[in-house]
Amino acid sequence: MRTRFGDFILNSSPPLPMPVGVYAGLEITGDSVRQAVTEAQSQFRAVMALHERFHTPVMLTAMDLSVEAEAFGCRIRMTEDEIPSVIGRRVTNAAEIKALPIPAVGSGRTAVSLETARRLVMAADGTPVLGGVIGPFSLACRIFGVSELLEISLTEPVVLIALLEKVTRFLTQYLSVFCDLGVHGVIMAEPAAGLLSPRGLAQFSSAYVKQIIDAVVTPDFTVILHNCGAKLVHLPKVLESGAEIYHFGAPMNLAQALAQVSSEVILAGNLDPTGVFFSDTQAEVIARTRELMQIAAGYKNFIPSSGCDLPPHTPLDNIAAFYETVNGSMG
Amino acid sequence: MEHKLDEIFNAVVNGDADAAKLNVQSALMDGMDAERILNEGLIASMKEVGRLFEEGEYFVPEMLISARAMQGGMSILRPVLVEQDIQPIGKVVIGTVKGDLHDIGKNLVSMMLEGAGFQVYDLKTDVAPEKFLEAVQTYQPDILGMSALLTTTMNNMKATIRLLEEKGARENIKIIVGGAPLTQAFAEQFGADGFAQDASQAAALAKALMDGSRG
Repeated sequence: MRTRFGDFILNSSPPLPMPVGVYAGLEITGDSVRQAVTEAQSQFRAVMALHERFHTPVMLTAMDLSVEAEAFGCRIRMTEDEIPSVIGRRVTNAAEIKALPIPAVGSGRTAVSLETARRLVMAADGTPVLGGVIGPFSLACRIFGVSELLEISLTEPVVLIALLEKVTRFLTQYLSVFCDLGVHGVIMAEPAAGLLSPRGLAQFSSAYVKQIIDAVVTPDFTVILHNCGAKLVHLPKVLESGAEIYHFGAPMNLAQALAQVSSEVILAGNLDPTGVFFSDTQAEVIARTRELMQIAAGYKNFIPSSGCDLPPHTPLDNIAAFYETVNGSMG
Repeated sequence: MEHKLDEIFNAVVNGDADAAKLNVQSALMDGMDAERILNEGLIASMKEVGRLFEEGEYFVPEMLISARAMQGGMSILRPVLVEQDIQPIGKVVIGTVKGDLHDIGKNLVSMMLEGAGFQVYDLKTDVAPEKFLEAVQTYQPDILGMSALLTTTMNNMKATIRLLEEKGARENIKIIVGGAPLTQAFAEQFGADGFAQDASQAAALAKALMDGSRG
């Protein structure tokens, strides 16, 4: 289904730059990561600061893959300056999965994500707003334990499926609430699915993402599927999810991916957020961005972006270099 | 006897831990040399798993269950190896650095190193420089491996290396680093001896460093 956000992308010339990163805005506001992930007002200010500084064509809420896991009861480690991480395992076997309650939308910090999105929509002045959520397989990993879940994907798939069904029900409800807020869509992050074989990815990620997409996507609300670990070999199975837009990381061969997908499918990515945005010099960012634009030359169905979330303390000058290069105003 | 080795090999490559244990037990009972079971059965099979991963046929789940099968076989073999005083090819201390709780990459590297014949001391996650130092002083490893998945924590690799230098513990070990934000350039900047992109490369790198050390 073509959505208003998809139209917005396809009708843009030159391509619209959309690095994924809210934490860089904290360099401007001076708030901590802890504040941004626990206070909607802080996260809102970070997004607006980036929007004002770089005239961002899209506004994104923060990528924080602990939010939904925390709502399910996972223990979280939170520090001032790091994106929160999940500690331990919430469930470890079939019985515990069966007993695991599905949280209400708005539980824990899902309320922060939703409130941030709501404030952005109110302030947006026509700029599209995208929310951020985790994908079903990646959420299941955080609840069960990454290594353990990857193993049972081969040894006890029935147990994994039971958990996937629960998280999918929650995510469907969660995305519906985002939709009701008036955002243009969400970026759904499924990084753990990139660790699976193509067949495993199809069975344990795409199938459930598709269920969510079929339930929530409307002409006004899109789902952008982010998988920063996926490689070209995964592409056909990732596409089975039926998303309108796919956001890939550095491991994806973007040139070949663009050649393989139909013009109806929009791809985004994929400059390395740490290797390029965080670590490189401004001149190197310009050079890598130009290479990316050359790869995508002639394709309207492409969004130049980072391959994943920009880490905290990413130099603002590097982000500026990226925007200016894509917009064509640098040499 | 050869078919016993094939059965061990196939059990590990297929990720069948029960078969790996049974076949190692059976080979020992048939009188097969323990070192041969280790080298031509278990280590050879993990080398094949590494190749399958590099070739894009195996992915992380397949590696994990193969490594689990290898560990199962090793649990039967280890007492015999100890009894016969058969030494590992080297000792490795490994951990995820302070402030970082990610462990999937580190776990895979541990398993591949064990599968390559190393004795591995896994310090788990959130390991402070002082704890790495203590482990190096206690276990006297040949190699120290450090993992980080966050840009904000990877600088603790540099801090750890500096501390080892300060305390005179740097000279006799090789240090390898890995994790998503790491690059060869960062590894060199931190003073590490090597950088590995994935678990299979880490095992190969560790072996190469050991071979280099033996001169």
